[in-house]
Amino acid sequence: MDDKSRQEIVVARKLAQEGSINARSLIRSISDTGSFDEYGALATSDDDSDGNNYSDGLICGIASVNDKSVAIAAYDRGIHNGTQTDRNMRKLAKMIYLAQKNRWPFIIFLEGDGARRDEPLLPPPIINYTRARWDVLEGLTELSGWVPTISIVTGDSHDGHAAIAFLTDLVIATKGSSIGSINATRVTSRSSEELANRGEVDVIADDTVDAIRTCKSLLSLWYESVNEFEEPDEAANISSIVPPNRRRQYDMRKVINAFADKNSTLEVGSRWGSSMVTAFAKLYGRSVGIIANQPMSARAGAIDSAAADKASRFIECCDSYGFPLISFIDNPGYMVGPEAEAEGMARHHARPLAALHQRNVPLYSVQIRKAYGLGPYAMSGFGTSRHVPDLRLAWPSVESAGMSLEGAAYLVKRREIKAASTPQEAREIRDLYAEEMRDASSGLNAGRTFSFDDIILPEETRPRIARHLIRTPRRIPSRKVRPIDPK
Amino acid sequence: MDETPLTRLKSAKTKRFDSARPDAVAKVHDSGHLTARERIANLLDPETAVEFGSIAAIDTEGNWVPEYGGVDFIGQVNNQPVIASSSDYTDKGGGYGGGRLEHLIALSQQHRWPMVLFVDGGGSRARHPRTGLGHTELSGQFGRYTHFDGMAQLSGWVPTIAIVAGPSFAGHASIAGFSDFVIATKGSAIGMGGPPMVEAALGLSLTPNELAGAEMHDKLGGIDLLVDSDAEAIKAAKRYLSYFEDNASGELPERSLSDELPTTAHEEDHIFSIIRSLIDAGSYFELRPSFATTVTTGLARVNGKTIGLLANNSFIRNGEIDESAATKTARFVELCDSYEFPILSILDSVGAVTSWAEGATGVITTEPGLSRSHTRALMAHQHRTVPLISIQIGKAGGFSGHIMCGSPTGHTSPLASFAWPNAEIGSIDGFSATRNMNAFDDVIEPAETRKNIVNLLNLLPSQSERRSLISEKKHSVDTW
Repeated sequence: MDDKSRQEIVVARKLAQEGSINARSLIRSISDTGSFDEYGALATSDDDSDGNNYSDGLICGIASVNDKSVAIAAYDRGIHNGTQTDRNMRKLAKMIYLAQKNRWPFIIFLEGDGARRDEPLLPPPIINYTRARWDVLEGLTELSGWVPTISIVTGDSHDGHAAIAFLTDLVIATKGSSIGSINATRVTSRSSEELANRGEVDVIADDTVDAIRTCKSLLSLWYESVNEFEEPDEAANISSIVPPNRRRQYDMRKVINAFADKNSTLEVGSRWGSSMVTAFAKLYGRSVGIIANQPMSARAGAIDSAAADKASRFIECCDSYGFPLISFIDNPGYMVGPEAEAEGMARHHARPLAALHQRNVPLYSVQIRKAYGLGPYAMSGFGTSRHVPDLRLAWPSVESAGMSLEGAAYLVKRREIKAASTPQEAREIRDLYAEEMRDASSGLNAGRTFSFDDIILPEETRPRIARHLIRTPRRIPSRKVRPIDPK
Repeated sequence: MDETPLTRLKSAKTKRFDSARPDAVAKVHDSGHLTARERIANLLDPETAVEFGSIAAIDTEGNWVPEYGGVDFIGQVNNQPVIASSSDYTDKGGGYGGGRLEHLIALSQQHRWPMVLFVDGGGSRARHPRTGLGHTELSGQFGRYTHFDGMAQLSGWVPTIAIVAGPSFAGHASIAGFSDFVIATKGSAIGMGGPPMVEAALGLSLTPNELAGAEMHDKLGGIDLLVDSDAEAIKAAKRYLSYFEDNASGELPERSLSDELPTTAHEEDHIFSIIRSLIDAGSYFELRPSFATTVTTGLARVNGKTIGLLANNSFIRNGEIDESAATKTARFVELCDSYEFPILSILDSVGAVTSWAEGATGVITTEPGLSRSHTRALMAHQHRTVPLISIQIGKAGGFSGHIMCGSPTGHTSPLASFAWPNAEIGSIDGFSATRNMNAFDDVIEPAETRKNIVNLLNLLPSQSERRSLISEKKHSVDTW
């Protein structure tokens, strides 16, 4: 065969792949036009008897998203059910290598059935623990905490595909997709929504278009561009979100949206640990991570094990990405009671404390209403030896105590309360004393002990923190500090 | 007689001794426990203790001021330096040590001295001196550790042991939660909110043990070891500390493995009898023994050298690794790596499973699959530098190899990966897999396994040599 014919075959083979493959179109739709440089387009398994095993079921390469580079890959369910082979895992390993070397974000579209069963080579160690050169899982653990890794689950992802998802920083999954395991006789998979309810999946997207949009916003946080931002619509009305009546609940998400740049908020893990809100956002164009208590939740903002785990992981993630943290505090402390203790509260509670202690990024805290017991520490750390919040702010509505003021009043006045003739009288005794303590800890009194750096009006929050943020340019650690704990 | 500075000191000190408060001491003894001072006396080697703050915290009337309520010492355990402290529950519920512990924590951090902390008590007192107008004055402080961030700083750098021999709530429980190794006595309790708080918040009237009992934590992973008494707890703490030195000479195993291959796990003792045949007699110190029992974790010695031992227990649910077993493994790997214990990993598992509470009954069922809890173990292995030796003695299905040993490539590649000939690789046996595909470093007979481990461990620097080479902490030991 002469060189010309060889070239024709290559071109024909590449052309045959164009337009026919969903995986490639996913990559195309996320990346800038014409920016995708594919690796291993001609790679096939050794057993390519049907002659259409394009790319061996994994499309990968480097691409630009809004002019910024990413290493990207997508499994193709059309080819051997998107299964993993020696060859396509080597392709993926090459992407991981490039991401690691150049500090490019790593993005992967996932769908497939784990290892290819009829693969003539020894099955990879993701099936059996044997010595091999399969280094995808190792590579992903290596990327963790160094570059952002994002998986987008677009369909049913089993075994080796699930392993990849759960090793990435952020799992975006489309509605209707699932993650689980498959073998010759049985499929055991769960819907991504069900998995999001236990914190395995971070974001549920309506469809691939929505998933790609989410992925792009995450990338724009990593590659921040500080010049463009818009004031949030509700900025001037932020104080009206929190009702003056302290017993009335409110949605902390509204506070976040009125604080962060317009349309910049990207909540992760919204379906679990609901007493804690974790969201990426931008402030004056700068990327930040927000942890916030959610008074409008089943546990009224009390931090349970799930909320502690969720916050701790998010803090580690922001620390790795060099995103300053902003903490909105309004919680009655850690969750108490037999159910919470059985969830291991005594151990889980320490995780956000440890994560805050070990962080390198600055922290700005804003206490809105209450912080009882260890609640303020969970949200802003102890910070006496290593870090204090760069700015510790409170609104005038703030109140603090070792435990809920009503609870403390109940304990102090227990004898009188039990002697009361009517339940109403008992409540009044309790509330009167609680009110006394509340007055002592709110408004101007909160500033008098230098417990806070300043007491500010709600609408001052955004510009005050932004000014500080502008003075402290983002510091991305120049070497990997630690991996991001998967959970 | 005129009071001189010396007599005044002597009188103040005398008031601190148990002999000065016979009623309180009798009450403690009646409840089957030891006083704070007795605990420390039992723990430290005789004549090694230096007390810190012996007269601090007594006010003019001879009462304890808030914040204190405990005793602090530096001394030795088995000739190793140890910082020992105990809250004193008889003293107004014990002060969790906000004012006492921070100095000890700083010393521990500087000198790398292990800490043994008895922590029972109800957390901070109502009028905590740091609390002004209801707020904790956090802003602007810089320098000393509080016990919370101090414990976070120590984690993974010096061993921290918490002993809970009574009700331990809020700040006290937090110290336990941060510790590497939590020992609790039967009947004790560890929880974030004590009975009064639970009564106030939820209207439930519960005893400490009903609310957050040590027995419950033993099953669910909240503690590392459940013991019968204060004395047993102290013994366990000493034993744990003893593993931080290698013995010059080891002992032979209790039993040796015959030529017979232990085929399947029909007996409850299956994996433990294999472990006993590989390690020095009586040296297995199991951690979290009642939690996530499909994997067993513990410290052991082989020829005198400390190892971390990690093994699937295939007698229970074929050694399947659920989320709990995976996090138990991950935390254990972090612990071994922090303190430089080489790991021996014995593989025999059907693989990773996820747990689901089904229907209204809430019965937990498991199904094959992965979760982020499982990948935590992979992260832990990837970031360890301590060597690992693996022996596959049966199955290694569904990612169990990665969870138990890390990736077989590059960074985490085991020092040696052995198999017994009956190990299964899919449908292939270990013998064929290795002969045909070089799947393991070697396939060995059970009877020669120990010798291989001994010879490999002899090639490695001792744990204390390894620790002395490390000038900053590698990572924390995750509290969960």
